[in-house]
Amino acid sequence: MVTVTIWGSLRDATDGAAEVEVNASTFIEVLNALKANYPGLTAQIDRGVSMSIDGLIYKDSWFTPVRPDSEVVLMPLMVGG
Amino acid sequence: MQYIAPATAKEAASLLHASTGIARVLAGGTDLLVQMKAGMIEPDLIVDIKKIKGMKDITPEAGGFRIGAAVSGTELGDHAGVCALWPGVVEAFELIGSTQVQGRCTMAGNLCNASPAGDAVPAMVAANAIARIVGPDGERDCPVQDIPVSPGKTSLKKGEFITSILLPARPKGSADAYLRFIPRTEMDIAVCSAGVSLTLAADGTCTAARVSLGAVAATVLLVEDAAKAIIGTKLDDASVAKLEAACSAACKPITDKRGTIEFRTEVAGVLARRATRIAQSRAGERT
Amino acid sequence: MALDEYSKREFTVVGTRPVRQDGIDKVTGRAQYGADFSLPGMLHAVALRSPHAHARIKSIDTSAALALPGVKAIVTSADFATNHDVQSVQDHCLARDKAMYDGHAVAAVAATSAAVARKALKLIKVDYEILPHVTDIETSMKPGAPIVQEGRRGRKVPAHYSDNATGFCEFGHGDIEAGFAKADLIVERTFKTSSTHQGYVEPHACLASVGNDGRADLWCCTQGHFQVRNLCSKMLNMDQSALRVTASEIGGGFGGKTTVFIEPVALLLSQKTGRPVKMVMTRDEVFKASGPTVASMTDVKIGMTKDGRITAGYAHIRYEGGAWPSDTIYPGAQCAFASYDLEAVKSQGVNFLTNRPLQAAYRAPGSPQSTYAVESVVDELCQILGLDPIDARLKNAAKKGTKSSYGPTYDEIGLIPLLEAAKAHPHYSAPLGPNQGRGISNGFWFNFGGETAVSLAIDFDGSVTLVEGNPDIGGSRAAMSMMAAEELGIPYEKVRTIVADTASLGHNEVTHGSRVTFAVGLATIKAARAAKVEMCRRAAMVWGIPAEAVEWENGAARAMGHNAGEHEPMTIEQIGANSSKTGGPIVGHHETMAEGAGVSFGVHICDLHVDPETGYTTVLRYTVLQDAGKAIHPDYVEGQMQGGAVQGIGWALNEEYIYGKDGRLQNAGFLDYRIPVASDLPKIDTVILEIPNPGHPYGVRGVGETGIVPPLAAISNAVSHAIGVRMSELPMSPQRILHAIHSKG
Repeated sequence: MVTVTIWGSLRDATDGAAEVEVNASTFIEVLNALKANYPGLTAQIDRGVSMSIDGLIYKDSWFTPVRPDSEVVLMPLMVGG
Repeated sequence: MQYIAPATAKEAASLLHASTGIARVLAGGTDLLVQMKAGMIEPDLIVDIKKIKGMKDITPEAGGFRIGAAVSGTELGDHAGVCALWPGVVEAFELIGSTQVQGRCTMAGNLCNASPAGDAVPAMVAANAIARIVGPDGERDCPVQDIPVSPGKTSLKKGEFITSILLPARPKGSADAYLRFIPRTEMDIAVCSAGVSLTLAADGTCTAARVSLGAVAATVLLVEDAAKAIIGTKLDDASVAKLEAACSAACKPITDKRGTIEFRTEVAGVLARRATRIAQSRAGERT
Repeated sequence: MALDEYSKREFTVVGTRPVRQDGIDKVTGRAQYGADFSLPGMLHAVALRSPHAHARIKSIDTSAALALPGVKAIVTSADFATNHDVQSVQDHCLARDKAMYDGHAVAAVAATSAAVARKALKLIKVDYEILPHVTDIETSMKPGAPIVQEGRRGRKVPAHYSDNATGFCEFGHGDIEAGFAKADLIVERTFKTSSTHQGYVEPHACLASVGNDGRADLWCCTQGHFQVRNLCSKMLNMDQSALRVTASEIGGGFGGKTTVFIEPVALLLSQKTGRPVKMVMTRDEVFKASGPTVASMTDVKIGMTKDGRITAGYAHIRYEGGAWPSDTIYPGAQCAFASYDLEAVKSQGVNFLTNRPLQAAYRAPGSPQSTYAVESVVDELCQILGLDPIDARLKNAAKKGTKSSYGPTYDEIGLIPLLEAAKAHPHYSAPLGPNQGRGISNGFWFNFGGETAVSLAIDFDGSVTLVEGNPDIGGSRAAMSMMAAEELGIPYEKVRTIVADTASLGHNEVTHGSRVTFAVGLATIKAARAAKVEMCRRAAMVWGIPAEAVEWENGAARAMGHNAGEHEPMTIEQIGANSSKTGGPIVGHHETMAEGAGVSFGVHICDLHVDPETGYTTVLRYTVLQDAGKAIHPDYVEGQMQGGAVQGIGWALNEEYIYGKDGRLQNAGFLDYRIPVASDLPKIDTVILEIPNPGHPYGVRGVGETGIVPPLAAISNAVSHAIGVRMSELPMSPQRILHAIHSKG
């Protein structure tokens, strides 16, 4: 299981939980599991999200490995100037 | 659109007089061409006066200088005689625009653009400069302060244009100064401004003064109360404070994107005080 | 170890300061910018723009304009495809049902000359129904405000806001109420910033040419021509491959050229006329109808102990981003407290609609506004508690292992070394005179990676052509040439880097997010390594030895193995010359979704003088300290740091969008939209720290954006100290400062 940190305004989709556990070993598996377990997150995930895995921010990269002890933080998709 | 560059002032005046559409005089073009590019004006006739004899001349006259209507900021700034006699007028004129604009812009144009914020105008008003006007009825002279009547409007009649500006002679112990306030250091338009011209006796007593303000009313103001506050004094702090108060009292500004009524009223007084001190210091070197 | 991971090494080309290869073209006028492209038979296009801030378009009658000799076509939004995922961008290009702001394009004319096109504009009759408008955030958020777009209210928006609130976000961790309870002092304030424009010198310009077969070419100034292609092809319902976009040289972008404004319109007109169409914005149009950054109103509350430990931080950020929803609240809320190691922190963002142009990215979008509010309150806490503002920041600074305010735990970051360097810098201890003040601020920005593709060819004479797909806005061609030269062991002058069109490479993400030197650099290094492997293989074939026995060093293949035998090194020139005979052209290429961009911090110190009688501010001394990872070309790193500071100085002191009661923009030009001129500025000192990014082979971090984050608070804090009044609204124009001075009585 991997612990995923959910940002504040999405927590109404996780019954208020700031951290949720999902069964996943890659970036895409994390997203799929989140959508399956917490359908309220689907709209945001489909709009686009980034993910911080052990401190590095990934925009996409479905097959980036996620270990059970990885720090995984869901983040909004970002633009820069 | 018709462009004509006549050889004589008389011909220019007839062309302007005969025009049925929108006619404009072109000297430096630093206002006119910008307005045309921005689509603010589409003239039917442009009369370029730069080919008229004398328009680029600076001529000594009765202890003062006659400045041709097409003399640029750079040319005036290069003239040692004018710089020595009327440093405040030169410093005001040289504040207009950029180095490139300085190569083209003219005092007469700045005057006829009739913006209350034109930098050369308050300094010319303080200097009691006289504009020479040519029109269909011949030539006449008019004090600079009577040329602008409201923003964008002058007292010139149809067919009239300015051919030169006379900066008059002045006694020993005289000097002038001009300050403007802009939020930057250059390339900007005065939020408010002040010109001060004064004469000091050998003992430092102010014997004559003219104080003008820009961008605080529909036209440049000549503030006689401010001059009265310092004439006959040795420019002690109390007298100069009276000058400052008289200037603020004379302001009738508007609030717009460049400044509020309160700011303009207050800072115009500050600038007048500071310009007085600069003029005093310059004059002191000449008594 | 993977090749893209950092390893410490010595450099020969990287870190030097060669002349940029595009420099001479730019100073001699040979470089081609957006408006410099022309084609035979070309038409000129201009847009008709709404004079109203908010109006329903009941009808548009173009018949009289079309009858004017020389007019070839007129387009309106009806000519576009609709209902796709870039609808709001398209509606911003040409108004659909409503004109949403003063300057919103409602139609465009193509004619044989720009003069004829402008004349035609006056003949187009638009029947407007004028609607109530709102242009400022404070009015927009209140119940009862005119609603800019119905049905856009965000689901999670707090109930007390009007229906102009389109989005809400929240980040943070810990119990802030418990944190505030532990504080010895709590400061709570509201801060406002105006919207500011990126202020690029080159207006938007493009040339579109659509062929009779539907295939099209577009030349334009943009930060991302692949993005232009993707947006325009959707709006025109074309295959992406049918549209080839070539990026011109670019006269500044700063985020504002990451989207499209006139390009789809020019394409439509070209499609309709069968002729090339050129469209160039005026400066007035750039201000009115491209994208400035968001205006903001932010509440911040921070608690601190007497000895300077922050016990809790809270920010409630409200951004106004024009007439369509924007997501800039996200980075705004994420970045607000990112410089701090906090037990309890919460930041919220709410976006509001107004009748203004849709905001576009502007250098670290969203971060300067929220950082300004937080760094101002930190400064005030230090002032009241008598603490040194750098010591207090050091006490709370984020470091490796800190759980950031936006979630992830930091790896190696440079904030503490930056603060220590700032404290030790002579600037920080220099004496101040009367009416002078000193301000400091931290700043943080994410950096991005993204889709990147490059190709690197070894030419027959051993010179190298590097093809990349990101418009060069800060000297990146020079930086790429340097990294290729470093990797290949050849002189910088032997590498020419060009920015290719969209038909020549795979997709490249926009030049934004401080990504190019990091991501394109990474791909360049990998492409060069691929070319080296191939060159070693060719040499091995010539020598008749195994490829494993050949290594690349100093621009030549060398036989290095035990049984390799004695061979003179084979230079890149020799290998290039023989390439046809040894297997054909040698090209290294690399395509990637670059990840692992390291975050970046900056610390700024500002000294200034305020004239107490006029409120006029003179910036006397300014020092920027920033972590660059590794500075490939230090001149251009310093340039980014200085440029960010200068834009921040303008933002803090004079830049603002001024709307009248009629909802029209009053200062759509550089005369009254006051960016600093050169004489307004001191020399901006720079200190580059190099804390390598573990995710890049040379340790590069993005440097482009962070520099604009700290100036707002650094300058505001300095003004506050100089005049003895805490400032809380930007710009700090002379009249606002004079008013503040009077208010202290």
